[in-house]
Amino acid sequence: MLRGFYTAASGMIAQQRHQESVSNNIANANTPGYKADQATLRSFPEMLIQQMGSKHVPTRKGLNLPTSRFIGGLNTGVYAQELVSDFSQGSIRETDMSTDLALENGTMPDEEGSLFFVVENEDGEERLTRNGHFTIDGEGYLTTNQGHFVLSNNGNPIQPNGDDITISRDGTIQADGMEAQLNIAYIDDVNNLAKEGDDLYTLEEGQIATAAESGADFQVHQGFLEGSTVDELKSMEEMMNAYRSFEQNQRVLKTYDESMGKAVNEIARLG
Amino acid sequence: MSIRSMNQATTTMNQLQKQLDIIGNNMSNSSTTGYKSRQAEFSSLLFQQINNMNHPENQTGRLTPDGIRTGLGARLGAVNVNNALGSLNQTDRDLDAALLNENHFFEIQGNAGEALFTRDGSFYLQPVNNNTEVELVTKNGDYVLGSDGNPIRFASTEIDGIQIEEDGTIMVTRGQQTENVGEISIVSIDNPRILEADGDNNFRLPNEDESGLGYADVVGAVNTGGKLLQSGALEMSNVDISNQMTDLISAQRSYQMNARSISTADDMQSLVNQLR
Repeated sequence: MLRGFYTAASGMIAQQRHQESVSNNIANANTPGYKADQATLRSFPEMLIQQMGSKHVPTRKGLNLPTSRFIGGLNTGVYAQELVSDFSQGSIRETDMSTDLALENGTMPDEEGSLFFVVENEDGEERLTRNGHFTIDGEGYLTTNQGHFVLSNNGNPIQPNGDDITISRDGTIQADGMEAQLNIAYIDDVNNLAKEGDDLYTLEEGQIATAAESGADFQVHQGFLEGSTVDELKSMEEMMNAYRSFEQNQRVLKTYDESMGKAVNEIARLG
Repeated sequence: MSIRSMNQATTTMNQLQKQLDIIGNNMSNSSTTGYKSRQAEFSSLLFQQINNMNHPENQTGRLTPDGIRTGLGARLGAVNVNNALGSLNQTDRDLDAALLNENHFFEIQGNAGEALFTRDGSFYLQPVNNNTEVELVTKNGDYVLGSDGNPIRFASTEIDGIQIEEDGTIMVTRGQQTENVGEISIVSIDNPRILEADGDNNFRLPNEDESGLGYADVVGAVNTGGKLLQSGALEMSNVDISNQMTDLISAQRSYQMNARSISTADDMQSLVNQLR
Protein backbone atom coordinates (compact mmCIF):
# COMPACT_ATOMS: atom_id res chain seq x y z
CA MET A 1 0.00 0.00 0.00
CA LEU A 2 1.25 3.45 -0.80
CA ARG A 3 1.62 5.33 2.47
CA GLY A 4 1.80 8.74 0.81
CA PHE A 5 -1.81 8.53 -0.30
CA TYR A 6 -3.01 9.37 3.20
CA THR A 7 -0.21 11.84 3.82
CA ALA A 8 -1.26 13.90 0.82
CA ALA A 9 -4.94 13.65 1.79
CA SER A 10 -4.19 14.80 5.33
CA GLY A 11 -2.27 17.74 3.87
CA MET A 12 -5.35 18.71 1.88
CA ILE A 13 -7.60 18.53 4.94
CA ALA A 14 -5.17 20.59 7.02
CA GLN A 15 -4.94 23.28 4.37
CA GLN A 16 -8.70 23.26 4.16
CA ARG A 17 -8.92 24.06 7.89
CA HIS A 18 -6.30 26.72 7.39
CA GLN A 19 -8.34 28.26 4.60
CA GLU A 20 -11.47 28.22 6.79
CA SER A 21 -9.68 30.16 9.51
CA VAL A 22 -8.37 32.70 6.98
CA SER A 23 -11.78 33.11 5.43
CA ASN A 24 -13.28 33.68 8.91
CA ASN A 25 -10.62 36.30 9.58
CA ILE A 26 -11.52 38.06 6.34
CA ALA A 27 -15.20 37.94 7.28
CA ASN A 28 -14.37 39.64 10.58
CA ALA A 29 -12.00 42.24 9.17
CA ASN A 30 -14.51 44.94 10.15
CA THR A 31 -15.59 43.50 13.51
CA PRO A 32 -14.58 45.83 16.36
CA GLY A 33 -12.23 44.18 18.84
CA TYR A 34 -11.92 40.98 16.79
CA LYS A 35 -8.66 39.11 17.28
CA ALA A 36 -7.31 37.32 14.20
CA ASP A 37 -6.82 33.55 14.34
CA GLN A 38 -3.64 31.92 13.17
CA ALA A 39 -3.80 28.22 12.33
CA THR A 40 -0.83 26.14 13.42
CA LEU A 41 -0.13 22.89 11.63
CA ARG A 42 1.42 19.90 13.32
CA SER A 43 2.67 16.63 11.90
CA PHE A 44 1.17 13.29 12.89
CA PRO A 45 3.09 11.44 15.61
CA GLU A 46 6.44 10.23 14.33
CA MET A 47 7.02 6.58 13.67
CA LEU A 48 10.20 4.62 13.19
CA ILE A 49 10.79 2.88 9.87
CA GLN A 50 12.65 -0.41 9.77
CA GLN A 51 14.00 -2.20 6.75
CA MET A 52 13.05 -5.84 6.90
CA GLY A 53 15.17 -8.30 5.01
CA SER A 54 17.00 -11.62 5.25
CA LYS A 55 20.51 -12.80 4.76
CA HIS A 56 21.21 -16.07 3.00
CA VAL A 57 23.75 -18.28 4.72
CA PRO A 58 25.18 -20.88 2.35
CA THR A 59 24.86 -24.12 4.28
CA ARG A 60 23.96 -27.54 2.94
CA LYS A 61 20.27 -27.05 3.32
CA GLY A 62 20.39 -23.31 2.79
CA LEU A 63 19.58 -20.95 5.70
CA ASN A 64 17.90 -17.55 5.69
CA LEU A 65 18.46 -15.29 8.69
CA PRO A 66 15.99 -12.42 9.17
CA THR A 67 17.68 -9.05 9.40
CA SER A 68 16.35 -5.61 10.12
CA ARG A 69 17.87 -2.19 9.96
CA PHE A 70 16.57 1.12 11.29
CA ILE A 71 16.05 3.74 8.61
CA GLY A 72 14.73 6.69 10.61
CA GLY A 73 11.65 8.56 11.66
CA LEU A 74 8.69 9.25 9.42
CA ASN A 75 5.58 11.32 9.87
CA THR A 76 2.61 10.19 7.89
CA GLY A 77 0.63 13.37 7.72
CA VAL A 78 -0.28 16.75 9.06
CA TYR A 79 -3.26 18.31 10.80
CA ALA A 80 -4.40 21.73 11.91
CA GLN A 81 -3.72 21.55 15.62
CA GLU A 82 -4.99 24.81 17.01
CA LEU A 83 -6.02 28.35 16.17
CA VAL A 84 -3.98 30.86 18.14
CA SER A 85 -5.49 34.33 18.33
CA ASP A 86 -3.40 37.42 17.92
CA PHE A 87 -4.38 39.43 20.99
CA SER A 88 -2.31 42.46 20.11
CA GLN A 89 -3.90 45.90 20.39
CA GLY A 90 -6.14 46.77 17.43
CA SER A 91 -6.01 50.20 15.88
CA ILE A 92 -8.40 52.75 17.35
CA ARG A 93 -10.81 54.66 15.16
CA GLU A 94 -13.21 57.48 15.93
CA THR A 95 -16.99 56.94 15.65
CA ASP A 96 -18.40 59.90 17.61
CA MET A 97 -20.97 57.70 19.34
CA SER A 98 -21.17 58.24 23.09
CA THR A 99 -21.69 54.51 23.73
CA ASP A 100 -18.69 53.31 21.71
CA LEU A 101 -15.74 52.41 23.89
CA ALA A 102 -12.22 51.40 22.94
CA LEU A 103 -10.02 49.70 25.47
CA GLU A 104 -6.36 50.55 25.13
CA ASN A 105 -3.86 48.34 26.92
CA GLY A 106 -1.06 50.04 28.79
CA THR A 107 1.77 48.06 30.33
CA MET A 108 0.78 44.51 31.26
CA PRO A 109 2.35 42.58 34.16
CA ASP A 110 2.54 39.41 32.02
CA GLU A 111 3.71 39.06 28.48
CA GLU A 112 0.52 37.26 27.42
CA GLY A 113 -1.76 39.39 29.57
CA SER A 114 -4.63 41.48 28.25
CA LEU A 115 -7.67 43.42 29.42
CA PHE A 116 -11.36 42.91 28.64
CA PHE A 117 -14.79 44.36 29.27
CA VAL A 118 -16.95 42.07 31.40
CA VAL A 119 -20.47 41.32 30.21
CA GLU A 120 -23.19 38.98 31.38
CA ASN A 121 -24.63 36.41 28.98
CA GLU A 122 -28.18 35.02 28.81
CA ASP A 123 -27.46 32.48 31.55
CA GLY A 124 -26.15 35.10 33.96
CA GLU A 125 -22.54 34.03 33.50
CA GLU A 126 -19.64 36.38 33.09
CA ARG A 127 -18.07 36.62 29.66
CA LEU A 128 -15.28 38.80 28.35
CA THR A 129 -15.21 40.94 25.24
CA ARG A 130 -13.05 43.50 23.50
CA ASN A 131 -15.88 44.74 21.28
CA GLY A 132 -16.84 48.05 22.89
CA HIS A 133 -19.69 48.83 20.49
CA PHE A 134 -22.31 49.18 23.20
CA THR A 135 -25.80 50.62 23.22
CA ILE A 136 -28.52 51.59 25.68
CA ASP A 137 -31.47 49.20 25.77
CA GLY A 138 -35.14 50.03 26.29
CA GLU A 139 -34.81 49.87 30.06
CA GLY A 140 -31.82 52.19 30.02
CA TYR A 141 -29.08 49.62 30.66
CA LEU A 142 -25.72 49.69 28.94
CA THR A 143 -25.59 46.52 26.83
CA THR A 144 -23.70 45.00 23.95
CA ASN A 145 -25.45 44.88 20.61
CA GLN A 146 -26.70 41.39 21.39
CA GLY A 147 -28.33 42.69 24.57
CA HIS A 148 -25.77 41.36 27.05
CA PHE A 149 -25.38 43.58 30.12
CA VAL A 150 -22.07 45.36 30.55
CA LEU A 151 -21.05 44.89 34.18
CA SER A 152 -19.65 47.37 36.66
CA ASN A 153 -16.88 46.62 39.15
CA ASN A 154 -19.39 45.42 41.75
CA GLY A 155 -20.86 42.93 39.28
CA ASN A 156 -24.09 44.77 38.51
CA PRO A 157 -25.49 46.00 35.20
CA ILE A 158 -25.00 49.70 34.55
CA GLN A 159 -28.13 51.81 34.07
CA PRO A 160 -27.40 55.28 32.69
CA ASN A 161 -30.99 55.66 31.33
CA GLY A 162 -29.91 57.46 28.20
CA ASP A 163 -27.03 57.91 25.83
CA ASP A 164 -26.01 61.24 27.31
CA ILE A 165 -23.11 59.73 29.25
CA THR A 166 -19.53 60.65 29.99
CA ILE A 167 -16.92 57.96 30.38
CA SER A 168 -13.53 58.98 31.66
CA ARG A 169 -10.23 57.38 30.72
CA ASP A 170 -10.24 55.25 33.88
CA GLY A 171 -13.63 53.71 33.02
CA THR A 172 -15.88 55.78 35.27
CA ILE A 173 -19.33 56.26 33.73
CA GLN A 174 -21.25 59.35 34.64
CA ALA A 175 -24.80 60.11 33.58
CA ASP A 176 -27.64 62.13 34.99
CA GLY A 177 -27.77 61.14 38.66
CA MET A 178 -25.62 58.01 38.49
CA GLU A 179 -22.00 57.01 38.54
CA ALA A 180 -20.45 53.59 38.02
CA GLN A 181 -17.10 52.07 37.32
CA LEU A 182 -16.70 49.67 34.39
CA ASN A 183 -15.36 46.26 35.31
CA ILE A 184 -12.15 45.85 33.35
CA ALA A 185 -10.90 42.27 33.73
CA TYR A 186 -7.31 41.18 33.47
CA ILE A 187 -6.32 37.76 32.11
CA ASP A 188 -2.70 36.78 32.66
CA ASP A 189 -2.59 34.30 29.76
CA VAL A 190 -4.92 35.12 26.88
CA ASN A 191 -4.32 31.73 25.29
CA ASN A 192 -6.61 30.20 27.92
CA LEU A 193 -9.55 32.03 26.39
CA ALA A 194 -11.93 30.32 24.00
CA LYS A 195 -13.98 32.20 21.45
CA GLU A 196 -17.70 31.71 21.88
CA GLY A 197 -19.26 33.83 19.15
CA ASP A 198 -20.85 37.28 19.47
CA ASP A 199 -17.31 38.50 20.25
CA LEU A 200 -17.45 36.86 23.67
CA TYR A 201 -14.65 34.92 25.30
CA THR A 202 -14.87 32.37 28.02
CA LEU A 203 -11.96 31.55 30.29
CA GLU A 204 -11.21 27.80 30.22
CA GLU A 205 -8.65 27.76 33.01
CA GLY A 206 -7.19 30.34 35.36
CA GLN A 207 -8.67 33.26 37.21
CA ILE A 208 -10.23 36.52 36.14
CA ALA A 209 -8.57 39.36 38.01
CA THR A 210 -9.46 43.01 37.89
CA ALA A 211 -7.15 45.48 36.22
CA ALA A 212 -6.71 47.35 39.50
CA GLU A 213 -5.65 44.22 41.46
CA SER A 214 -3.17 43.09 38.85
CA GLY A 215 -1.58 46.47 38.29
CA ALA A 216 -2.28 46.52 34.56
CA ASP A 217 -2.90 50.00 33.29
CA PHE A 218 -5.35 50.93 30.57
CA GLN A 219 -7.31 53.74 29.03
CA VAL A 220 -10.95 53.72 27.99
CA HIS A 221 -11.67 55.98 25.03
CA GLN A 222 -15.25 57.14 24.62
CA GLY A 223 -16.45 57.70 21.06
CA PHE A 224 -13.85 55.33 19.67
CA LEU A 225 -13.78 51.66 18.69
CA GLU A 226 -10.91 49.23 18.60
CA GLY A 227 -10.47 47.81 15.11
CA SER A 228 -9.96 44.17 14.22
CA THR A 229 -6.40 42.81 14.26
CA VAL A 230 -6.98 41.14 10.90
CA ASP A 231 -4.42 42.31 8.39
CA GLU A 232 -6.25 42.04 5.09
CA LEU A 233 -3.09 41.97 3.02
CA LYS A 234 -1.60 39.20 5.10
CA SER A 235 -4.89 37.27 5.06
CA MET A 236 -4.99 37.43 1.27
CA GLU A 237 -1.43 36.15 1.06
CA GLU A 238 -2.22 33.42 3.55
CA MET A 239 -5.29 32.39 1.60
CA MET A 240 -3.27 32.14 -1.62
CA ASN A 241 -0.63 30.14 0.22
CA ALA A 242 -3.21 27.76 1.67
CA TYR A 243 -4.74 27.33 -1.74
CA ARG A 244 -1.44 26.55 -3.47
CA SER A 245 -0.45 24.20 -0.71
CA PHE A 246 -3.80 22.45 -1.12
CA GLU A 247 -3.16 22.24 -4.85
CA GLN A 248 0.32 20.76 -4.35
CA ASN A 249 -1.06 18.09 -2.07
CA GLN A 250 -3.70 17.35 -4.64
CA ARG A 251 -0.96 16.89 -7.29
CA VAL A 252 0.90 14.49 -5.02
CA LEU A 253 -2.30 12.55 -4.50
CA LYS A 254 -2.85 12.38 -8.26
CA THR A 255 0.71 11.19 -8.84
CA TYR A 256 0.19 8.40 -6.33
CA ASP A 257 -3.00 7.52 -8.11
CA GLU A 258 -1.18 7.33 -11.44
CA SER A 259 1.46 5.02 -9.96
CA MET A 260 -1.30 2.90 -8.57
CA GLY A 261 -2.94 2.87 -11.99
CA LYS A 262 0.28 1.65 -13.55
CA ALA A 263 0.62 -1.05 -10.92
CA VAL A 264 -2.87 -2.26 -11.59
CA ASN A 265 -3.04 -1.96 -15.35
CA GLU A 266 0.49 -2.40 -16.67
CA ILE A 267 2.41 -4.68 -14.32
CA ALA A 268 -0.31 -7.22 -14.39
CA ARG A 269 -0.69 -7.19 -18.18
CA LEU A 270 0.20 -10.48 -19.82
CA GLY A 271 1.96 -10.80 -23.14
CA MET B 1 -15.85 20.14 2.58
CA SER B 2 -15.13 23.66 1.53
CA ILE B 3 -18.71 24.50 2.29
CA ARG B 4 -17.87 26.05 5.66
CA SER B 5 -15.67 28.78 4.26
CA MET B 6 -18.19 29.43 1.51
CA ASN B 7 -20.92 29.84 4.12
CA GLN B 8 -18.77 32.17 6.19
CA ALA B 9 -18.21 34.39 3.20
CA THR B 10 -21.77 34.38 1.86
CA THR B 11 -23.27 35.19 5.29
CA THR B 12 -20.82 38.02 5.74
CA MET B 13 -21.43 39.36 2.24
CA ASN B 14 -25.15 39.41 2.90
CA GLN B 15 -24.52 41.45 6.06
CA LEU B 16 -22.06 43.73 4.28
CA GLN B 17 -24.79 44.42 1.75
CA LYS B 18 -26.98 45.59 4.65
CA GLN B 19 -24.19 47.81 5.88
CA LEU B 20 -23.92 49.30 2.39
CA ASP B 21 -27.68 49.94 2.53
CA ILE B 22 -27.30 51.83 5.79
CA ILE B 23 -24.40 53.87 4.44
CA GLY B 24 -26.37 54.59 1.26
CA ASN B 25 -29.35 55.75 3.31
CA ASN B 26 -27.13 58.04 5.37
CA MET B 27 -25.60 59.53 2.26
CA SER B 28 -28.90 60.16 0.55
CA ASN B 29 -30.12 61.92 3.72
CA SER B 30 -27.04 64.08 4.07
CA SER B 31 -29.13 67.18 3.50
CA THR B 32 -32.38 66.08 5.17
CA THR B 33 -33.45 68.44 7.95
CA GLY B 34 -33.00 66.90 11.37
CA TYR B 35 -31.74 63.54 10.05
CA LYS B 36 -29.52 61.56 12.42
CA SER B 37 -26.91 59.28 10.94
CA ARG B 38 -27.17 55.59 11.65
CA GLN B 39 -24.28 53.32 12.35
CA ALA B 40 -23.96 49.56 12.38
CA GLU B 41 -20.92 47.56 13.40
CA PHE B 42 -20.10 43.90 12.92
CA SER B 43 -19.85 41.22 15.49
CA SER B 44 -18.52 37.70 15.06
CA LEU B 45 -20.89 34.79 14.61
CA LEU B 46 -20.89 31.51 16.53
CA PHE B 47 -17.75 29.49 16.84
CA GLN B 48 -17.82 25.80 16.13
CA GLN B 49 -15.71 23.51 18.23
CA ILE B 50 -13.91 20.79 16.28
CA ASN B 51 -12.22 18.12 18.34
CA ASN B 52 -9.57 16.61 16.14
CA MET B 53 -6.62 14.46 17.13
CA ASN B 54 -7.64 14.57 20.78
CA HIS B 55 -5.27 11.89 22.03
CA PRO B 56 -3.47 13.31 25.09
CA GLU B 57 -0.11 12.72 23.41
CA ASN B 58 -1.07 15.23 20.75
CA GLN B 59 -1.93 17.90 23.29
CA THR B 60 1.62 18.57 24.39
CA GLY B 61 2.98 21.91 23.39
CA ARG B 62 -0.44 23.42 22.77
CA LEU B 63 -1.07 27.02 23.74
CA THR B 64 -4.84 27.09 23.62
CA PRO B 65 -7.65 24.99 25.14
CA ASP B 66 -8.35 21.64 23.45
CA GLY B 67 -9.85 21.38 19.99
CA ILE B 68 -10.04 24.09 17.38
CA ARG B 69 -12.78 26.67 17.21
CA THR B 70 -13.67 27.85 13.73
CA GLY B 71 -15.84 30.91 13.39
CA LEU B 72 -18.80 31.07 11.07
CA GLY B 73 -18.40 34.61 9.74
CA ALA B 74 -19.73 37.94 10.93
CA ARG B 75 -23.04 39.73 11.22
CA LEU B 76 -24.27 43.23 11.85
CA GLY B 77 -25.27 44.20 15.34
CA ALA B 78 -28.06 46.63 16.15
CA VAL B 79 -28.29 49.85 14.17
CA ASN B 80 -27.47 52.75 16.46
CA VAL B 81 -28.59 56.29 15.85
CA ASN B 82 -26.04 59.01 16.41
CA ASN B 83 -28.01 61.69 18.27
CA ALA B 84 -25.38 64.41 18.06
CA LEU B 85 -26.74 67.83 17.18
CA GLY B 86 -26.58 68.73 13.48
CA SER B 87 -25.34 72.14 12.42
CA LEU B 88 -27.89 74.96 12.34
CA ASN B 89 -28.80 76.52 9.03
CA GLN B 90 -30.10 80.09 9.23
CA THR B 91 -33.19 80.40 7.01
CA ASP B 92 -34.83 83.55 8.49
CA ARG B 93 -38.21 81.99 7.79
CA ASP B 94 -40.70 82.78 10.58
CA LEU B 95 -42.03 79.24 10.89
CA ASP B 96 -38.67 77.45 11.03
CA ALA B 97 -37.41 76.28 14.38
CA ALA B 98 -34.34 74.27 15.33
CA LEU B 99 -34.15 72.37 18.64
CA LEU B 100 -31.03 73.08 20.65
CA ASN B 101 -30.91 70.00 22.85
CA GLU B 102 -30.08 66.48 21.61
CA ASN B 103 -32.86 64.82 23.56
CA HIS B 104 -35.70 67.17 22.62
CA PHE B 105 -38.41 66.46 20.07
CA PHE B 106 -41.45 68.25 18.69
CA GLU B 107 -44.57 66.28 19.45
CA ILE B 108 -46.87 65.83 16.47
CA GLN B 109 -49.91 63.79 15.58
CA GLY B 110 -50.05 61.44 12.61
CA ASN B 111 -53.01 60.89 10.30
CA ALA B 112 -54.40 58.13 12.48
CA GLY B 113 -54.04 60.19 15.64
CA GLU B 114 -50.92 58.35 16.79
CA ALA B 115 -48.20 60.14 18.77
CA LEU B 116 -45.16 60.96 16.64
CA PHE B 117 -42.00 62.89 17.30
CA THR B 118 -39.80 64.87 14.97
CA ARG B 119 -36.77 67.12 15.02
CA ASP B 120 -37.66 68.68 11.69
CA GLY B 121 -38.88 72.16 12.63
CA SER B 122 -40.03 73.47 9.26
CA PHE B 123 -43.67 74.25 10.02
CA TYR B 124 -46.55 75.51 7.89
CA LEU B 125 -49.99 76.97 8.45
CA GLN B 126 -52.95 75.09 7.07
CA PRO B 127 -56.29 76.90 6.65
CA VAL B 128 -59.37 75.25 8.22
CA ASN B 129 -62.99 76.26 8.93
CA ASN B 130 -63.57 78.13 5.67
CA ASN B 131 -60.28 79.99 5.95
CA THR B 132 -61.25 81.56 9.24
CA GLU B 133 -58.67 79.63 11.23
CA VAL B 134 -55.24 78.13 10.64
CA GLU B 135 -53.49 75.12 12.13
CA LEU B 136 -49.78 74.61 12.61
CA VAL B 137 -48.62 71.51 10.67
CA THR B 138 -45.37 69.89 9.59
CA LYS B 139 -44.45 69.77 5.94
CA ASN B 140 -46.26 66.43 5.64
CA GLY B 141 -49.44 67.94 7.03
CA ASP B 142 -49.23 66.28 10.47
CA TYR B 143 -50.59 68.39 13.32
CA VAL B 144 -48.05 70.01 15.60
CA LEU B 145 -49.33 69.52 19.13
CA GLY B 146 -49.46 72.23 21.72
CA SER B 147 -48.37 71.73 25.31
CA ASP B 148 -52.04 71.12 26.18
CA GLY B 149 -52.01 68.04 23.91
CA ASN B 150 -54.25 69.50 21.20
CA PRO B 151 -53.31 70.76 17.73
CA ILE B 152 -52.37 74.45 17.68
CA ARG B 153 -55.17 76.41 16.00
CA PHE B 154 -55.82 80.13 15.88
CA ALA B 155 -57.82 82.77 13.94
CA SER B 156 -56.36 83.59 10.57
CA THR B 157 -57.66 87.13 10.28
CA GLU B 158 -55.25 89.98 9.74
CA ILE B 159 -52.05 88.22 10.73
CA ASP B 160 -49.20 90.68 10.27
CA GLY B 161 -46.45 88.62 11.81
CA ILE B 162 -45.81 85.35 13.52
CA GLN B 163 -42.94 84.48 15.78
CA ILE B 164 -41.90 81.27 17.50
CA GLU B 165 -40.27 82.19 20.80
CA GLU B 166 -37.24 80.35 22.18
CA ASP B 167 -39.36 78.50 24.77
CA GLY B 168 -41.84 77.28 22.11
CA THR B 169 -44.67 79.82 22.50
CA ILE B 170 -46.12 81.22 19.30
CA MET B 171 -46.72 84.96 19.19
CA VAL B 172 -49.02 86.36 16.51
CA THR B 173 -49.03 90.07 15.70
CA ARG B 174 -52.26 91.66 14.48
CA GLY B 175 -51.81 95.36 13.89
CA GLN B 176 -50.47 96.70 17.18
CA GLN B 177 -51.57 93.66 19.18
CA THR B 178 -49.31 90.70 19.98
CA GLU B 179 -51.10 87.64 21.17
CA ASN B 180 -49.89 84.31 22.60
CA VAL B 181 -51.81 81.70 20.57
CA GLY B 182 -50.26 78.53 21.91
CA GLU B 183 -47.12 76.70 22.90
CA ILE B 184 -45.49 73.97 20.82
CA SER B 185 -45.06 70.78 22.81
CA ILE B 186 -41.34 70.10 23.12
CA VAL B 187 -40.74 66.81 24.91
CA SER B 188 -37.54 65.44 26.25
CA ILE B 189 -36.78 61.76 25.64
CA ASP B 190 -33.89 60.47 27.74
CA ASN B 191 -33.11 57.53 25.53
CA PRO B 192 -33.94 58.53 21.93
CA ARG B 193 -32.45 55.26 20.63
CA ILE B 194 -35.59 53.34 21.47
CA LEU B 195 -37.68 55.45 19.08
CA GLU B 196 -38.48 53.82 15.77
CA ALA B 197 -38.17 55.69 12.50
CA ASP B 198 -41.57 56.19 10.90
CA GLY B 199 -40.48 57.87 7.66
CA ASP B 200 -41.03 61.52 6.71
CA ASN B 201 -38.53 62.58 9.43
CA ASN B 202 -40.87 61.24 12.10
CA PHE B 203 -40.25 58.82 14.93
CA ARG B 204 -42.78 56.72 16.78
CA LEU B 205 -42.83 54.89 20.08
CA PRO B 206 -41.92 51.20 20.01
CA ASN B 207 -44.84 48.76 20.15
CA GLU B 208 -45.92 48.79 23.78
CA ASP B 209 -46.82 45.09 23.84
CA GLU B 210 -43.32 44.10 22.77
CA SER B 211 -41.22 46.66 24.59
CA GLY B 212 -43.37 47.12 27.66
CA LEU B 213 -42.74 50.83 27.44
CA GLY B 214 -45.67 53.21 27.28
CA TYR B 215 -45.81 56.91 26.52
CA ALA B 216 -45.24 57.86 30.15
CA ASP B 217 -42.14 55.62 30.41
CA VAL B 218 -40.45 57.14 27.41
CA VAL B 219 -41.46 60.78 27.32
CA GLY B 220 -40.07 62.97 30.05
CA ALA B 221 -40.61 66.60 30.90
CA VAL B 222 -42.51 68.80 28.47
CA ASN B 223 -41.55 72.45 27.83
CA THR B 224 -39.08 72.85 30.64
CA GLY B 225 -38.67 76.52 29.80
CA GLY B 226 -35.49 78.39 28.98
CA LYS B 227 -33.93 78.47 25.55
CA LEU B 228 -35.22 75.34 23.86
CA LEU B 229 -35.13 76.33 20.22
CA GLN B 230 -33.73 78.77 17.74
CA SER B 231 -36.35 80.24 15.44
CA GLY B 232 -35.60 81.17 11.84
CA ALA B 233 -33.17 78.27 11.61
CA LEU B 234 -33.27 74.57 10.74
CA GLU B 235 -31.16 71.74 12.11
CA MET B 236 -29.21 70.11 9.32
CA SER B 237 -28.41 66.42 9.04
CA ASN B 238 -25.47 65.25 11.15
CA VAL B 239 -24.19 62.89 8.47
CA ASP B 240 -20.50 63.33 7.84
CA ILE B 241 -20.08 62.59 4.14
CA SER B 242 -16.34 61.96 4.30
CA ASN B 243 -16.84 59.43 7.10
CA GLN B 244 -19.57 57.70 5.13
CA MET B 245 -17.36 57.61 2.04
CA THR B 246 -14.57 55.95 4.03
CA ASP B 247 -17.00 53.39 5.45
CA LEU B 248 -18.40 52.78 1.99
CA ILE B 249 -14.99 52.08 0.48
CA SER B 250 -14.00 49.81 3.33
CA ALA B 251 -17.29 47.89 3.17
CA GLN B 252 -16.93 47.50 -0.57
CA ARG B 253 -13.37 46.18 -0.25
CA SER B 254 -14.51 43.73 2.40
CA TYR B 255 -17.19 42.58 0.03
CA GLN B 256 -14.57 41.89 -2.61
CA MET B 257 -12.33 40.07 -0.15
CA ASN B 258 -15.18 37.81 0.92
CA ALA B 259 -15.97 37.13 -2.72
CA ARG B 260 -12.36 36.00 -3.09
CA SER B 261 -12.86 33.58 -0.19
CA ILE B 262 -15.77 32.04 -2.08
CA SER B 263 -13.86 31.69 -5.31
CA THR B 264 -10.86 30.19 -3.49
CA ALA B 265 -13.13 27.68 -1.77
CA ASP B 266 -14.69 26.92 -5.14
CA ASP B 267 -11.29 26.38 -6.74
CA MET B 268 -10.39 24.04 -3.91
CA GLN B 269 -13.51 22.02 -4.51
CA SER B 270 -12.73 21.88 -8.18
CA LEU B 271 -9.30 20.45 -7.30
CA VAL B 272 -11.01 17.76 -5.28
CA ASN B 273 -13.25 16.97 -8.23
CA GLN B 274 -10.24 16.62 -10.51
CA LEU B 275 -8.97 13.76 -8.40
CA ARG B 276 -11.19 11.39 -10.29
